[in-house]
Amino acid sequence: MNANLSTISFREPAMAAKTARRSPLARLATIALVMAVFAAVVALGANAFWLSAATSAVALSLSVIGLAVLYGQLGLVSLCQFALVGVGGWVTLRIGHAFHPPFEVSMLAGGIVAALVGLVFGIPALRLRGLYLALVTLMLAGAFQTIISAWGFPDGGPGFLGRADGAGRAMLARPGLAEGPIAYFLYVCLIATIGFIIVQWHKYAKPGRAWALIRKGETVALSSGVNVLTYKAWAFALSGFFAGIAGALLAGNVGQLDGRAFSAFESLNLFALTIVGGSFHWYGALIAGLLLRAVPALLTDLGIDGYVTIGIFGVALFHALATAPAGIAGQISGLVGRLAKLTGGKRA
Amino acid sequence: MNLLPFLISGLGIGAVYALSGVGLVILYRSTGVLNFAFGAIGALGAHVAWQLLQWKQPLALAILAAVLVATAVSFLYGRIFAPMLSHRDTVVRAVGTVAPALFLIALMGVIWGELPRRLQFPTDQMFLALFGVRLTYTRLIALVLAILMVVAITLLLNRTRLGLDMRALANDRDLSAILGVRILHTETAAWVITGIFAGLAGLLLADLVRLQGTFLTFLVIPAIAAAILGQLRSLTITAIAGLSVGVAEAVLTPIAWISPYRAAAPFVIALAAVMILGSTSRAALRDR
Amino acid sequence: MLKTLKVMAAGLALSLLTAMSAHAAASCGDGSGKAAEGEPIVIGAITGKTGPDDFSNSTKAAKAYFDCLNANGGIKGRPIKYVVEDDQWNPETAAQLGAKIVNDEKAVLMVGNSSYVECGANAEFYKKSGIYVIAGVGVPRECFFAENYAPTNAGPRVSMLGAMGYALDKLNAKSVACIGPNIPNVGTWSCEGVALLAKEKGFKADVILMDPGSADATSVILQAAASKPDVIVLGMSKGVAVPLLTAAEEQGLNQTITFLSAASAYDLSVPATIGSGWDGKFFVNMEFNDLEADTPDNKNWLAVMDEYGQESDPRDTFAQAGYLAARIAEKALMTLDPNNITRETASAAVRQVKDFKSDIFCAPWYFGDGQPRHNANSTTRMAVSEGGKWKVVSDCAPSPDPELKDIRAFEATMK
Repeated sequence: MNANLSTISFREPAMAAKTARRSPLARLATIALVMAVFAAVVALGANAFWLSAATSAVALSLSVIGLAVLYGQLGLVSLCQFALVGVGGWVTLRIGHAFHPPFEVSMLAGGIVAALVGLVFGIPALRLRGLYLALVTLMLAGAFQTIISAWGFPDGGPGFLGRADGAGRAMLARPGLAEGPIAYFLYVCLIATIGFIIVQWHKYAKPGRAWALIRKGETVALSSGVNVLTYKAWAFALSGFFAGIAGALLAGNVGQLDGRAFSAFESLNLFALTIVGGSFHWYGALIAGLLLRAVPALLTDLGIDGYVTIGIFGVALFHALATAPAGIAGQISGLVGRLAKLTGGKRA
Repeated sequence: MNLLPFLISGLGIGAVYALSGVGLVILYRSTGVLNFAFGAIGALGAHVAWQLLQWKQPLALAILAAVLVATAVSFLYGRIFAPMLSHRDTVVRAVGTVAPALFLIALMGVIWGELPRRLQFPTDQMFLALFGVRLTYTRLIALVLAILMVVAITLLLNRTRLGLDMRALANDRDLSAILGVRILHTETAAWVITGIFAGLAGLLLADLVRLQGTFLTFLVIPAIAAAILGQLRSLTITAIAGLSVGVAEAVLTPIAWISPYRAAAPFVIALAAVMILGSTSRAALRDR
Repeated sequence: MLKTLKVMAAGLALSLLTAMSAHAAASCGDGSGKAAEGEPIVIGAITGKTGPDDFSNSTKAAKAYFDCLNANGGIKGRPIKYVVEDDQWNPETAAQLGAKIVNDEKAVLMVGNSSYVECGANAEFYKKSGIYVIAGVGVPRECFFAENYAPTNAGPRVSMLGAMGYALDKLNAKSVACIGPNIPNVGTWSCEGVALLAKEKGFKADVILMDPGSADATSVILQAAASKPDVIVLGMSKGVAVPLLTAAEEQGLNQTITFLSAASAYDLSVPATIGSGWDGKFFVNMEFNDLEADTPDNKNWLAVMDEYGQESDPRDTFAQAGYLAARIAEKALMTLDPNNITRETASAAVRQVKDFKSDIFCAPWYFGDGQPRHNANSTTRMAVSEGGKWKVVSDCAPSPDPELKDIRAFEATMK
């Protein structure tokens, strides 16, 4: 497995140039290491408020990594990712309240259903590209917004919708081994790390090369013997799966979800911050998650008016779009690269 | 069941969707930017009009100010900020307009807050009685305005130099530049035109629906549905689509089982159209 | 000549102003005018400020009262540190902020809360943490069905049924259409109450749940009017109620159908906003006394707002709720030894609150120690829109909500 991976990455010249000095396995280990340090720092340092915000941020970064697969790898734009987060959350709550299985079972169900829905949502992408595809997915997000605000999220009631209107609403139990806030935060970090590693592995392995070829042009890919349909569909399913898991983790954080928090504009916002965070590096997803949840929390904590927060967000969004095409992660990566060159040069 | 009353009530919103959709398409064709801030720009104008009316200024002045403010904001973004993203792909350029939308939401929230407000025109009290429903003059004006604006813009495109330049840009940007089309000039003109559309749509929505910053901002999404139905190209089809989408949404109201989902009508119609026409449409295959 | 006249006028205005403010001096705490300088007592609140509607007037009024209290001796010398957070109508944020106030700020009590989403997100957490909440404005059902949460207001359902009762008794309504928001445990809960009452009393009721984000108010109104009801009862926040009334007036329905609303539309700006077409045609339920009532405690509320609040803070029914919540908290904390105010002692003191009298309430407020739920305010008044103002048209009447049986039974044991 190990040897196989490294040979693959050396066969890919672009990839080999970038990762010349480090094997893919080392890179995957780096992800685990960085996440472990991040989790430890937050778990030890944060108070209850920050812990809760950080939990949401890490959960959402999983949905961002899904978007980053589509945009960063294939150049496809999906503006319905937050709707898929909602689908995952809905299924998790539905299964959780109906059968009270272990949290992991409801979560996986949420992820799988979201993956299937993501696959269906991806059907237009087989024929469409660019802005037109983006707008079609935005229409899907709009339709989802209407449905979820009519249905609401299950909260322990009877029937298909599982709504406990006019009776006591139940909360979804957290996983048995992570009931406290710190334990749950670490749990979310662990799952996010696994997600990041899976996505990163895809980039080194066969799907990553197939995606790169499809991005160059579908005719190129076809003539190289790549099954375009399968690999595109796989990307959509993977992206939907991570969105669904993110929704499950969000549902576990508060114990319930609110239909009005899943508007089409949220999906738009999620995509915007994915670009700002950086869709070509795994830590771009973590940065985007923090931008989505931790930065508003910081501004709230500083006592800044909610509207002013929105305004600051708008300005920052434009600034990042205009000055950092590869996102904040791209800038960090560039900085690290320059530093490495400097130290390397000295050694030589 | 009598659907006629709902049909008539849907005409007002439909006309505004049409107006917004055409405003979006005219900008997209000329500049390649899909403007998510369209609703927010209109909402800002409407708030300015409301403020002037509160200060006992004449209605005509308020309307003029609303359109001027909307146009000015659109012009500023188009002239100063949009060019900073002009080398990026269409999606990033569209996402860039989320920034002014958020900024304007914040501005309106800080200045005006979220209080119950109503922008009233004298035409709200005048009406034609049709099938037991009152079609207010405001709705009628919305309808006429939508038609007039589409005709005017079509004339502009077909009869003037600016229109020729806009059409050239829509067809092939690089080739147009080589042929000497003044790109910046033409693009700025498109931003101004879309600003006028936004101002008018905002005023009408503030009267027909409600005057609330966030709410009006998000109404851009159903307008995009109309633009998709027009394949981001055809002004006439976009206008008709906007009208039909508004009417469809209203007509579904009395059907009990579908009523809660009727707000999804614009999106579902747009999706169905893409599924059916998608592969054959030119817009689908073009990246800009 | 003109100048002297102006000066004279200004002088007159000034003396009138001082006379008025002297007349309406805010009274709170021990009234000593000595600022409290001891160790602060932390009290928290969560409110929904940024979002579809601004509910922060309750905490603004509570803040004004606490400022007044701190300037007048505080709680036996200890000032109150009032921590207010904006949940932005998002349960996720509400949960974050709940953790912040309870675990990080270590608040002993929460006072004046007013949010659509906070109760649902946090009620269980509050119970687990042993913190009590004297809320200003409770909206969803969870606010009235929690052990640790006691709002000063009546709630949308009790208020809506108060309006319904008035329609039955005074307007002789035989059929009704209820329009509520499709928000979990708000619209369905309220309109179900109307349907339940309809079954009990044998009148006809239609329920219409609308998406508050829906653009087309005219269609909703036409849908409600299709069954030709005698009255239409609204359970929407004022931001949505106004467009619905506008659409109804456009269709001339204000001529044929009487409209009523739960207290959520009781705001001083509403009659002027909807205009004269609604004179005598739009009734609203009031959870509290007339906002302009000339009674001692109501006047004191206005005086506190004038002296310690911002000029821009609305003087509305939410503000009354926040003021009352702050006063109840003051009453509870004053029973304690100032050196021993902890979450435990504060909670015990809140549980003991009973027979709290204010002319802003219809009936004395109590917490209801040991009760699984709290809804002390269930007696309401009605007002009608007239000449750009609200005119109070009824005395206090108990809400006919069938769901209040347990509350009424408990109240009977108190007497």
